[in-house]
Amino acid sequence: MGRLRPSHYVEVGLWLLATAVLYGLTFKFNQDIEIYKFGASAWPRGLIILMVIAAFGQLYWQYRYGDAGAEVGGPDANIETEGASENSGLPWYAHTALLIALPFIYMRIPDLFGLPADAQGPIKLITGAIVVTAFAWLSRTNMVGGMLGLPLLFAAFLEDFGFYAMAPCFMISVMWLMGERRFKPMLAVAALLFSILMVLFVKVLYVGLPTGNIEPFYSFGNWVVKVLQ
Amino acid sequence: MDIFSNFVTGSVSLFSDPLNILIFLGGVVGGMLFGAIPGVSMLTLAAILLPFTAHLTAEQGIMLYSVIYCTGVYGGAITAILFNIPGAPENAATAFDGYPMTQQGKAGKAVGAAVMCSALGGTVSAVIMMIATAPIAEWAISAFGPPEIFALVAFGLAVAASVGAKTLWKGWLSILFGLTLAVVGLDPVGGIARYDFGMPYLLAGVHFIPIILGFFAVSEVLVQCEKKATGAYKAPKLSVDFPTFAELWAHKIAVVRSIVIGFFCGILPGIGATLAAFMGYNEAVRWSKDKMAFGKGKLEGVISAETANNAATGAAMIPLLALGLPGGALTAMMVGVFQMHDMEPGPLVFINSGDLVWVVFAAMFYANVSILLIGFLETKTIINLLKIPFQFLAPLILLLATVGAYAVRGLTIDVIMMFAAGAAGFFLRRTGYSVAGMVLGLILGKIGEQTFAQAMQMVHYDFGTYLMRPISLVLLLAAVGTTATGIYKAVRGPGQAAKKETNPQSSA
Repeated sequence: MGRLRPSHYVEVGLWLLATAVLYGLTFKFNQDIEIYKFGASAWPRGLIILMVIAAFGQLYWQYRYGDAGAEVGGPDANIETEGASENSGLPWYAHTALLIALPFIYMRIPDLFGLPADAQGPIKLITGAIVVTAFAWLSRTNMVGGMLGLPLLFAAFLEDFGFYAMAPCFMISVMWLMGERRFKPMLAVAALLFSILMVLFVKVLYVGLPTGNIEPFYSFGNWVVKVLQ
Repeated sequence: MDIFSNFVTGSVSLFSDPLNILIFLGGVVGGMLFGAIPGVSMLTLAAILLPFTAHLTAEQGIMLYSVIYCTGVYGGAITAILFNIPGAPENAATAFDGYPMTQQGKAGKAVGAAVMCSALGGTVSAVIMMIATAPIAEWAISAFGPPEIFALVAFGLAVAASVGAKTLWKGWLSILFGLTLAVVGLDPVGGIARYDFGMPYLLAGVHFIPIILGFFAVSEVLVQCEKKATGAYKAPKLSVDFPTFAELWAHKIAVVRSIVIGFFCGILPGIGATLAAFMGYNEAVRWSKDKMAFGKGKLEGVISAETANNAATGAAMIPLLALGLPGGALTAMMVGVFQMHDMEPGPLVFINSGDLVWVVFAAMFYANVSILLIGFLETKTIINLLKIPFQFLAPLILLLATVGAYAVRGLTIDVIMMFAAGAAGFFLRRTGYSVAGMVLGLILGKIGEQTFAQAMQMVHYDFGTYLMRPISLVLLLAAVGTTATGIYKAVRGPGQAAKKETNPQSSA
């Protein structure tokens, strides 16, 4: 089987799966356009066919030459091998996938429980706390996976808990995941960066950032904006 | 000497009003800073400022954006070189050689070359813009229809596919992925919703600012984080030794070539500085005797890309002002400024608002000159940013990116999209795909499909008629030639690929 490894099959399999799903979805908008003979689906289908060709081309390359690069140069061509060895293999990917999935699970909570809008606050506070605990526990042994999931968790919390309360927690978590363990510098840097951001964006540029919609985070966000403006 | 007197009049009205001077200086410093701060770009600044231009006159608003454009395209080079984070796609090609130079401790040389070449490319382009706007606009109107623009997009993508990714196939997959992202939303001909998954948010399409921020800023932070966690992180080496005049003079042909390429790419709607930089770089590789050194820290790579992208800035104003066609994100925002003042960019601007045009031209000229002065002063400050430990810089980059993504439309889903793109970018880059290619695909996707549809309607779906158009034919042949060369190399395998450059194909 040449130089093919299981990861190569997974890679081409993912591309083929994606193209199959995308092709299937084109039937949803496969409508004629009166002024355009090719309709709405010809262009995406053309792209999908090219993608399939390129995916097989890549498989052929890996069959012949394994993971060797074509020495084309460029910023993305030379980074993938450094430091990647520790964080690979099925257990790592599964663990990381779980960390990345947690924010999305949190976002789906209202739909999963069919909650009315006014009853969501307390439930979201509780599930938020559970998700954060689970995330912290899972990322103890997988710092890189934690770094991949943390920004998404932060983004998922923005709408409910607001930028103003979440940003300092986010900054400290990022520093912790990147190996910083000295608390004083962490707090000092977080306070400094937060002040700079607040003055620049809230006071000078009047950018309206999400204040959150759950108490007491909502009141805190509004208080910060009021003090600065 | 009509042009000269117009230029003098424009300069006088630019510098006779204190508010104009303030806006000019604010634009120069702001564009450079936002271009240079990792995680935000001149587009972030431009997006944040857009609502406020309603308080300015149209002249001041457009002038501010044109100044931000010139200095921002340069500013993005600093982070491309120092952090491997192109401030905008325009600077992606700069990172190819600029970042390896930083890793080798030659950051100062790379940044110095970027300062000089950006200023030179931009200034020359501004001068040509003043002289040639009218005749070139006239030619472009008659010679460049949708078939030619589509052919040019195809050629540009073919070029981009052969640079940046681990293999040609991964380059194409990256670009096709970007093109598919651009399909999301309403189709450009019939307005039919595609891949919207019933979400109203997706009807407007995938916004490119969160995607750019995610693919470039966030994924770069994540890559560095992994290196930090595994102990593979190497702090960039510092140096402030700028290149000597002799070093730059040795690359004079590359500079001239990039100015010509940059200008012609910039002039064409929808192509602009990004393709200019890629093509400037690609041509430098092709004409070089030492092709293998590119991508590993060759000064000529930085020079070619940076001269070309700034040379495109002046040229990009021509389709905007003469045809009303924005060539990229920033010029598209300028259309927004025009509309806020009840004006439409287009040929009538020259007749109705000749003053505006010349104030903008003068401002762009001075902005490029000021890159040289402020660039050297400010760059040393920015190089000092490298001394900050990365675990302290990372949260700042991520939060600036958050504000940037949110400020565009005020939607948290844009922030989620950005971080999702960041995580996706992390995995794709690890496996040798090109995030720059994806972004280029995303940006050119809509215009590619639109011009293809228009071209097909024009030629009544007859490819024979399409190929009878000489410019289209040459560009399509160049696209096919570039791809065929790539496939030929791909079949021959690694090693062979770089050693043997095949016969030159026809180029635009």
